[in-house]
Amino acid sequence: MRNPVGWAALTAFSLAFFAFIYAPLFVIIGYSFNSNPVNMMIWEHFTFDWYAGLLGLADRTTDVSNRAAYVESTGQMLAALRTSLTVAVITTTISTVLGTATAIALARYRFRLRGVYNGFLMLPMMMPDIVLGIGLLIFFVTIGMNLSMLTIIIGHCTFLASYVFIIVQARIAGIDPALEEASADLGASEWVTLRKVLLPQLAPGILGGALLAFVISMDDLVITYFVSGTGDTTLPVFIFGMIRRGVKPEINAIATLIILASVVIAALGLWLRSRKTD
Amino acid sequence: MAALLEISAARREFVTPEGGRLAALDGVDLTVGANEFVTLLGPSGCGKTTLLRAISGFEVLDNGTMRLDGMDLTALPPFRRPVNTVFQSYALFGHMTVARNVGYALEVAGVGKASRDAQVAEALEKVGLAGMGGRRPGQLSGGQRQRVALARAIIAKPRLLLLDEPLSALDRNLRQQMQLELKTLQHSLGIAFIFVTHDQEEALTMSDRIVVMRAGRIEQIGSPRDIYRHPKNRFVAEFIGETNLFPVTVDHVAGNIALGRTADGVELQLPATGRSVGEQVTAILRPADFTLGTAGIPGQVTREVYLGSDLYIFVQPKAGGPEIRVIARDGAGAAEGAAVHLAHDPTSVHVLEAA
Repeated sequence: MRNPVGWAALTAFSLAFFAFIYAPLFVIIGYSFNSNPVNMMIWEHFTFDWYAGLLGLADRTTDVSNRAAYVESTGQMLAALRTSLTVAVITTTISTVLGTATAIALARYRFRLRGVYNGFLMLPMMMPDIVLGIGLLIFFVTIGMNLSMLTIIIGHCTFLASYVFIIVQARIAGIDPALEEASADLGASEWVTLRKVLLPQLAPGILGGALLAFVISMDDLVITYFVSGTGDTTLPVFIFGMIRRGVKPEINAIATLIILASVVIAALGLWLRSRKTD
Repeated sequence: MAALLEISAARREFVTPEGGRLAALDGVDLTVGANEFVTLLGPSGCGKTTLLRAISGFEVLDNGTMRLDGMDLTALPPFRRPVNTVFQSYALFGHMTVARNVGYALEVAGVGKASRDAQVAEALEKVGLAGMGGRRPGQLSGGQRQRVALARAIIAKPRLLLLDEPLSALDRNLRQQMQLELKTLQHSLGIAFIFVTHDQEEALTMSDRIVVMRAGRIEQIGSPRDIYRHPKNRFVAEFIGETNLFPVTVDHVAGNIALGRTADGVELQLPATGRSVGEQVTAILRPADFTLGTAGIPGQVTREVYLGSDLYIFVQPKAGGPEIRVIARDGAGAAEGAAVHLAHDPTSVHVLEAA
């Protein structure tokens, strides 16, 4: 028998919990359609103007003149988005390869200092972003490397490889080593075994790690803030810069689009995973 | 019999967590003939699995040599050895269909698709899984997975097939059915099987020869009957089947019968050959060697276990000492508490020289 009071309390708690998590997101999505250009907290009427402006579709000259000052230029924002995507794609590729290779090495081979490596791989994830950011900045300056997209990529790889490593390691721990032995027993060299048995078995973990790395790279502000040069700005750093000059309605539209993109990526990841485990 | 596999003086040591050294294989010599069914039998940690893995190449010997058909295997990596293995966990590739699993050895060897498909169909047919090639291993029962693992291991026609406790995960009925099928398959394929198990019943049912191992050494090699009737020592006697061991002193010898007496005074008749008065030996009698009668060792039934057509009883000898385990026909008047006499045929007694 259900206890009605307990059941009601549990329902109320669940609703409150989801409200707590999702309310800020819905506020942002809601206000992204508010036409009030001066105070975005006061609802004026529904509009797509901010989205149109972001995408360069609106004719600003006919609008209130101060609106034009908000998004400095659509071009700048699109450049930031392009930088973010470029960085995310490259870092995801590099850190996925590094993280996966390391996970395989630590799980399947015995060598000196194996335990120490394991510990060191956890460290970048536990270290506060700000410490890692400052550390990287001092490092780049010391070796005389100019801040550019390259330094952002190197910075991201330093900690994203660890994330991929953790996820692939969890997957490989659940794989029977006898599978690789069976492959070798049936005449496959180590390389063929890696290609035909181990990597396909690890695929869901590798994919999950790659998606996580991509999302974190797209999202990172603190570390990128320290290691990006003046020329290459990522989207989060660009948005942070906009906010510093006052919260403007375009921010809501940008945020909403980012939420949408994240949901699509997450859904894609879940779909791919469910396909793998049929 | 032409020797297919020759292992001599095989030695493999492991370092224990305490830093000591433990010999998993301690000077093992073994010869396996073509088309022979050999079982490695022993308790956990006796080295039987290490020996199997040394043959497949997953363990490297510290010492000793291993030749297959005269070819030195010692330095060959697993994927270059012409032997295949059926793993205890089956180790099927979950991301491939049954057909691709079975054809894996051919795929890796670069055999063309048409020839591969034909051989896969043939192998599936042999193990009774015709038409199941399109399924995934996850959709099969335990017994079917076992058959897929078997088909996958025989498709490349190895001279020698290694089986690592392949039946241990199956239920009793299926296990007995698979034991007979494996034996039949081995005959029709004409290849040698080395089968690892800790189940003595399985070993007795299937093997041409049994290799009993303990602590990295071979205790005895022989036919199932040989091992069962003539164990070389107490370990083998106790490991293979139920056994009654009687340490006796030879009291007197008359004709071809010697009389032995235990410290408690239980009297047994032994074959006289080689016996001398005053000698201390161990007499071995299987539970089925005793018959209930009016003469023989007097005792009382303390417990009975119903086995169907047979009755397994524990008899406390009147003279004292440990209980004797006996298999009697059901309805032979051996209820709990009954007074009985245990008779035995002196020639069925196996004698160990050591007391």
